Amino acid sequence: MSGQTGTDLRASDAALIQKIVQRDESALAALYDRYASLLSSLLNRILRDTQASEEILQDVFFQLWMNAAQFDPARGSLPGWLTVIARNRAISRLRRHTPSAGEELRETTVIVPVNLENAITQQQLLGRVMGALGNLSTEQRAAIELAYFEGLTHSEIASRTGDPLGTVKTRIRTAVESLKRNLLS
Amino acid sequence: MNGHPTRPEDFDLYALGVLEGEEKAAIESHVPTCAECATRLAEARGRIGLLAFSAPRVEPSPTVRERLMRQIHASVEGAEAQRAQREPERAGGFFGRWWAAVLVPACILLLFVAARLRNENERLSRELAQEQATLQQQQKQLDEALHAQALLESKDTVSVALAQQPGMPKGDVRVMYNSKMGMAMCDGWVEPAPANKSYQLWLVPKDGKPISAGVIDGGPINPWTVKLPQGMAAKAFAVTLEPAGGMPQPTGPMVLVGPVT
Repeated sequence: MSGQTGTDLRASDAALIQKIVQRDESALAALYDRYASLLSSLLNRILRDTQASEEILQDVFFQLWMNAAQFDPARGSLPGWLTVIARNRAISRLRRHTPSAGEELRETTVIVPVNLENAITQQQLLGRVMGALGNLSTEQRAAIELAYFEGLTHSEIASRTGDPLGTVKTRIRTAVESLKRNLLS
Repeated sequence: MNGHPTRPEDFDLYALGVLEGEEKAAIESHVPTCAECATRLAEARGRIGLLAFSAPRVEPSPTVRERLMRQIHASVEGAEAQRAQREPERAGGFFGRWWAAVLVPACILLLFVAARLRNENERLSRELAQEQATLQQQQKQLDEALHAQALLESKDTVSVALAQQPGMPKGDVRVMYNSKMGMAMCDGWVEPAPANKSYQLWLVPKDGKPISAGVIDGGPINPWTVKLPQGMAAKAFAVTLEPAGGMPQPTGPMVLVGPVT
């Protein structure tokens, strides 16, 4: 069946996934409208290349369409999963590395502490994330951004910034502790 | 080592992707064997994934959605065609051929009618999908217009005129800002940005680091509203010249600036 069935835009992610399994194209369109902006922003921040970002954005949602039956909403958050997959693919593209994409749906379970299904929650979360990042020192924030948006490891960050490896490790660990505390508060 | 990681932050560091060597291998060898740690890693992935919200907002082009919908529609049609191709192979033997001989003319007629009905159904489905997309777009525009109206009508909204800085590209940008609502609207114009560069608008708070309020293309600015942290005491708004797509913090020269009074 390939019918557009007039998907309720307020439907939960789990309900939309179920409809995608039944080949309802409008359910995928609804999920795209819900999360494409978040993923597009992330991809453009990592790649700084509109065309490459849009290719990955389309590919991530097409993979969701093809493999929706393997995604169990009870085991994790869909936007969390989409974000992890988009980031992994963008960083792989950045580093010219081919990921093992076939395992993504089955193995990457992501639990997000809030429900991201509506735009208001997303806006509130934006404020909380920016606040949590604002509490970091300049060096901590730079290190976190090098790791998250450029996919650098401890030693690569040390090499990039010229700081000792131990300093970088401590800086990132304390930054992560602070983020964890502030994001959950 | 194949025991539980000793420090709870190890899961977040793994999700962030900074671990390497033995530290990384220790998590990768332990987690598949431990449900409790698998859950902790899933939670860490979720927390770290929230950093995606700090990326400057970039809306995808509408053509991406169109291409995606065409792609999935084609995949559905391809699957149906394959299924239809396999069906005749299942009919076999004498009775299969006899019944086939009797039913072929009727089936051809039915297929003809069904194909016409299917085409009609698909046409209507496509039109419905387009209508839904249009409706959704209109709803989004309406929401933005209502936000803009509320911003402009509020007594707490201040107007900030951004002045060109010496030797910088020309521009005339105005920001309407409401701290209580946590919202700003920007309009005006600015000279086209140099190749591989973008202008970026920043809220400069009285305390703390600048907050990105969006990336601006050169030329006339289509007025847009942007959500900012509520209750933020702003000192100024500024436009800087950044690498294309914008940066999390300003790195380039200040092109325009205006104090919030």
